[in-house]
Amino acid sequence: MTPSPTTTRPRPLSPNVQIYRPQLTSVLSILNRMTGIILSACAVVLVIWLVAAAWGPQTYAAVQGAVASWVGRIVLFGATFAFFLHLCGGIRHLVWDTVHGFELRSIYVSGWAVVAASVVLTVAAWVAGALMAG
Amino acid sequence: MDPKNIENMRTPLARAIGLGSAKEGVGAWWAERVSAIALVPLTLWFAASIIAHTGSDYATFIIWLRTPLAAILMILLLIAAFYHTVLGLQVVIEDYVHSQAKFATMIAVRLGCCALATSGVVAILRIALSS
Amino acid sequence: MIIKSSDQVPRATLLKRFPIPKNFGITPESRIGRGKAWQAPDGAVRAQTFEIYRYDPDSSENPRLDTFEVDLDDCGPMVLDALIWIKNKVDSTLTFRRSCREGICGSCAMNIDGTNWLACTRFISDLATPTTIYPLANLRIIKDLVPDLTHLFAQYAAIEPWLRSKTTEPERERLQSADERSKIDGYYECILCFCCTSGCPSHWWNGDRFFGPAVLLQAWRWLTDSRDEAKEERLDNLEDPFRLYRCHTILNCTRTCPKGLNPGKAIAEIKKMMIERRS
Repeated sequence: MTPSPTTTRPRPLSPNVQIYRPQLTSVLSILNRMTGIILSACAVVLVIWLVAAAWGPQTYAAVQGAVASWVGRIVLFGATFAFFLHLCGGIRHLVWDTVHGFELRSIYVSGWAVVAASVVLTVAAWVAGALMAG
Repeated sequence: MDPKNIENMRTPLARAIGLGSAKEGVGAWWAERVSAIALVPLTLWFAASIIAHTGSDYATFIIWLRTPLAAILMILLLIAAFYHTVLGLQVVIEDYVHSQAKFATMIAVRLGCCALATSGVVAILRIALSS
Repeated sequence: MIIKSSDQVPRATLLKRFPIPKNFGITPESRIGRGKAWQAPDGAVRAQTFEIYRYDPDSSENPRLDTFEVDLDDCGPMVLDALIWIKNKVDSTLTFRRSCREGICGSCAMNIDGTNWLACTRFISDLATPTTIYPLANLRIIKDLVPDLTHLFAQYAAIEPWLRSKTTEPERERLQSADERSKIDGYYECILCFCCTSGCPSHWWNGDRFFGPAVLLQAWRWLTDSRDEAKEERLDNLEDPFRLYRCHTILNCTRTCPKGLNPGKAIAEIKKMMIERRS
């Protein structure tokens, strides 16, 4: 048994997140988690939107107005980026669950691919939306 | 990790074993993956539909949501999304909340998501089934 | 940008640490203060600055960060050589574990410039100046760079890392084909330095119950050994939301293994075996 000091003061804990280097591995993982939480909030908004639609045209117009405002558009842009990051990151996780792509080179290539794909898809989605709006 | 390092008299092995293995956990892990696989096509369909309907008015939107395909996929999306959300948030809460608040938070999240999913499904059904 | 093997040290990084306050979330007894600074000896042409975590259990002070300047022409090429040079020439109270000096014993594992590695296999020339040296992350510190690994070894004992058989012992050796033997390649080489476990954020937040990559890699080593006959008990022992399933495939472990092993992959194999046994 370790002679742990009970009468003297406790041993200090070495720093962890305060000094550990951010790497692609940990940064993409925490981003996947943060985007997941953001999307949970988006799911709540989705339900509000659907309930407003079922309620009638006036409530629907109110919700649509909030989304179409410039604050709403910025939030929607962020949400789209979060969605695509979580989608691509999630697919990367599903591939890992089949025990493929664990070599360090593959981890880094797939990681950068997720970032690039998310940016491209977000831009493509908003360009398509702008074109549809005419 | 005992934060105060005021250890009780347990041996290190007893502390590492804790209460023993729960002998379950694979179910939640599998459900999270299956719901994720379902969500890939469903969310992409939803995103594409929203983009396609940019700028359309209330009536057009309602007509689209009344079509059987749209209604069914929307309901499936809500169920899969909230199921995935509950599992994901449960893992997040277990990771970061270690106090007595853990169980209360988990119950609140679980019941809240059930209520939200039901509200969404009922809303879609009201739109889809009304004349 | 693309890391091909774990010994690569990226030259340029956007961030050396997460943008949080230096003592963020640290309990009062662990807060790190500014420490002493020692100058380079006269006549030193090439000097490298090292900022080293110090903690003296016999004093009543908090841990601190001391600054040393090492004459690179007077000391060997590895970080361990620098630590020994400091201990010999500057401050003999600097305390750290070391033994083989060739990367096989695992004693000198520590956090060098933000990532966990063995001091004896890390070239000083690969590192920026000033080089920060901390002990392995999220462990109770006995003194200076010496962490208390008791809990980690207890977790290792909890997976029963020995051959378990139910059939009677064979007359001679337990038979194993070359293919079967190759299944434990990449897992038996672990030196239990715990660089991976102390670099895993999930182990930081739940290390009391989560086994961590080193222990789980060894668990896989025994699960995949064809001579072992206790797969059912081993899998039962691991199937737990905390012991195994706190792993969220963050993969800091594979990135930091000084022996080039792949704990992330081993854990994925365990999870795959878990789902296979009930489908």
